[in-house]
Amino acid sequence: MNRINPLYIGIALVIILFLLAIKLSSAKSELKDVQASYKETSKLSTKLTGLKDVYSKDRVKKSLQRILKLSTSAKIEEKTSTFGVIITSESMNKNEINALMGKLLNEAFNINLLKIKKLSDTTASLYVEIKW
Amino acid sequence: MFTKFNNKFNTIFLDTSSPKFEVTDKVNVILSPSFYWVKKLALPVKYARDAKKLLPSIFEDILPDGNYSYSAYKSGDDFFVFAYEDKYIIDILSEKGIANSNIANVYFAQSELTNLSGAVKISDDQSIYIKEDILILVPCCWIEENSDLDMNELTLSKHAIVLQQFGHIVDQKSIYNIGAILLVLIMLISAEYIITIQKIANISTETDDIFAKHNLKSTMFQNKALLKKYLSIHERQTKIRKYISHILSLNLKASEKLSLLSLKNNILEADFSDLSKLSQKNITDKLKLNAVKFKVSTSKNNWHVEIIL
Repeated sequence: MNRINPLYIGIALVIILFLLAIKLSSAKSELKDVQASYKETSKLSTKLTGLKDVYSKDRVKKSLQRILKLSTSAKIEEKTSTFGVIITSESMNKNEINALMGKLLNEAFNINLLKIKKLSDTTASLYVEIKW
Repeated sequence: MFTKFNNKFNTIFLDTSSPKFEVTDKVNVILSPSFYWVKKLALPVKYARDAKKLLPSIFEDILPDGNYSYSAYKSGDDFFVFAYEDKYIIDILSEKGIANSNIANVYFAQSELTNLSGAVKISDDQSIYIKEDILILVPCCWIEENSDLDMNELTLSKHAIVLQQFGHIVDQKSIYNIGAILLVLIMLISAEYIITIQKIANISTETDDIFAKHNLKSTMFQNKALLKKYLSIHERQTKIRKYISHILSLNLKASEKLSLLSLKNNILEADFSDLSKLSQKNITDKLKLNAVKFKVSTSKNNWHVEIIL
């Protein structure tokens, strides 16, 4: 008769089952959170990496050099500083300014300041400040 | 499995007519024939465990209604087979002052008192004796020569039985089935838990890989702030290009000129010279149509418009 009561074994199994179910439920909930966090991180990293690349100093410099090289005007001045680059021209032909502005606006530059002032029917002055 | 060595405990003989016992230590219990049905049979099986399967049908015709357990052991070429009611025996044990916790092993008198010579008196009016290898219970008056039962000379066999305390509620097979189902469930849930934990570890590693690969800041808070900054820049630049496009696509007459285009502190300004009232209206209508926030002012022949980004 010195046998473990089967009822005790049954209760122990039910308790183990119950505790495991709680652990599993908690693990499932944690898995959901981790999956959500992964999705969020993945989405954020894609967006952030894309935007960082687009507005990166290296890409801005490279694109700007290419645009300015193609410009026919010799009167354009370029000043580079730690925060960005300033492009100025005291007087530019209206066709040159059209071509240059078209290229600048079609590229992803962070234009901070802009001033185009008509000097005469065919000329204008230009001031553009682009931030890195 | 939980059986103690027999010689460690005292042994008592239990009959329904036995007086109440005062048991404080564990005891072995020998059940009198009044607690069981016994048969000696030759069965077409080799082992006692195979014989047990046949017992319900063997006893079917002679047992009154009840929940019976069965036992068997081999003796020579024959089997001694038993049928007994666990609950009935447990109730009598309890009634006679023998608690479950004080019972070491339970035996049938048939298996333990095989060497009786003549009749042995077990109470004032009952004796036991062996007839054709079966230990039977008879009234004392049937036999004149009676001796008393000496429990000290007994050597107990290995044919102990285990009383099923819940046998009358759930049969043993059902208990095993329920236990097996619970064990399977436990194993399934454990496996699912291990798989889930593994998945969590894998996804966490992949998340860390993204941080390393894209050189992200250490916290999501910092990264979110950085993304917000870049999105704000991007939105501003998109607006600048959109509003400049609105201004440059205006249809002006030959005499009407755009004399200034300026961007400063989130305000895009444009100055027009010699602009007719109709052109002014056309421009404001177009800006309104595109839901652009703007302010208009006039000085001399200059028409000034400020667009808020």
